[in-house]
Amino acid sequence: MHSLKKRILIFSLMFFSLAIFFLSQNLPFIKLSAIDYSGYSRVLIEPSFPLQSSVEKKGIKTIVIDPGHGGLETGAKGKFGSLEKNITLAVSLKLKAIVERMGYHVVLTRDKDIDVSLENRSAIANNNRAYLFISIHANSSPRKKAMGSETYFLSLNATDEEARRLAYMENNSATIEEKIKSEDEDNIMMILWDMAQTAYLQHSSQLAESIQIELNSLLSTINRGIKQAPFKVLTGVACPAVLVEVAFISNPEEEKKLLNEEFQTKVAMAICRGLTDFLRKYSQ
Amino acid sequence: MKMKRIALLGLLLIVLIILIVIFFGSGGEKYKKEAYTTTSPASDQLPGEVQDSKKIILFFASEDDTFLHPEERDILSDSSIAPQAKQIIKELIKGSQNSFILPLPPETKLRELFITKEGIVYVDFSREIQEKHLSGSSAEILTIFSIVNSLAYNFKSIKRVFLLIEGNERETLAGHVDLSRPLLPRYDLIAN
Repeated sequence: MHSLKKRILIFSLMFFSLAIFFLSQNLPFIKLSAIDYSGYSRVLIEPSFPLQSSVEKKGIKTIVIDPGHGGLETGAKGKFGSLEKNITLAVSLKLKAIVERMGYHVVLTRDKDIDVSLENRSAIANNNRAYLFISIHANSSPRKKAMGSETYFLSLNATDEEARRLAYMENNSATIEEKIKSEDEDNIMMILWDMAQTAYLQHSSQLAESIQIELNSLLSTINRGIKQAPFKVLTGVACPAVLVEVAFISNPEEEKKLLNEEFQTKVAMAICRGLTDFLRKYSQ
Repeated sequence: MKMKRIALLGLLLIVLIILIVIFFGSGGEKYKKEAYTTTSPASDQLPGEVQDSKKIILFFASEDDTFLHPEERDILSDSSIAPQAKQIIKELIKGSQNSFILPLPPETKLRELFITKEGIVYVDFSREIQEKHLSGSSAEILTIFSIVNSLAYNFKSIKRVFLLIEGNERETLAGHVDLSRPLLPRYDLIAN
């Protein structure tokens, strides 16, 4: 018994050492980067897509769509046994197809049933220089009556000190490299990574509005409006970003809609119309 | 002689098995939990003094709308805030006495609570608050802000709340809300 355990232990150690060794080589699709963060050293595995540079050269805008949850993280569950993660993927795939037909380049943060960390989802957006980021979710509530669609953008949960720094950054965003003293740089870089979204809040709220208007008009679900929340998936995204809660999987009536292909297509159409509306009105 | 030996070994084995069962069975868990959830005695009150009761406000969800609704509750007063804050959380977990909705899994237990001098309350919950969570933005927001609001509303010195689960920091509660920073209360979520 003893020596078997030992062998398993040694094998696992060897396996993981080799895995880390290979990952640290510059494989085309994976990049390791260590970010120092007030004493902690964190390692992120960032997918880097080779398509990036050719897409940018053609001036095509990239839109990143994020099917919520996935893999072991099922998300919310419905009474008929449906799982949020499957619905978000189904809607996202339809949305990708429709948006691509409009001439945009679309990247999904996942295209199958796998776990993707929230940080990696934002990293995918930033690495692909996303023009927009849209996270797709299905809602749930302990309230039986809870129904309808809502769209979120980020609310800050900043301390007074951080709010002051962020205001400084927003006001100086044109010449940010010049004005920040080198001693301040580390601290400000820390905030930039963590709160990249703060520079885009106004646009994010406009994107949320454009999408919610189309959800209301196309879906005939109850309009729960535009809301703000300190959602982790949005905090690090450096472009207008929203999270769409399509309908309530906890409500049997809406759960049936969410499982329905036609409804899913309508949702995709509504979000597509919303984002193209936004791009028409607000992009430079 | 041999019989004695075998009997002795047998007895030792049985004792060992009993000890293992006790330690690793639910009994062991209870022992560990009790070490965390015992409320400290009212600190600066002299023995024999009767503790005053005090009214505080808890926030629950309601079937009627998307807001948090206040409900009065009595707790034992104390010269320190931490024991009172612990009672607030325990009373919240017990649920509403007015048919409001409990916005967190009823199996949740408070493991530990302490307050820094900057007014940040660290609240450590058992794994059930995450494992038995409904998930979904609405459910998660109701959970988090019923806790944060119930603490901050009752004590001016409580500025922010930091949630821990099983003694650890988590990225989010159920995949949505960022728990990496202490949370500010949100009074815009309270019904008028």
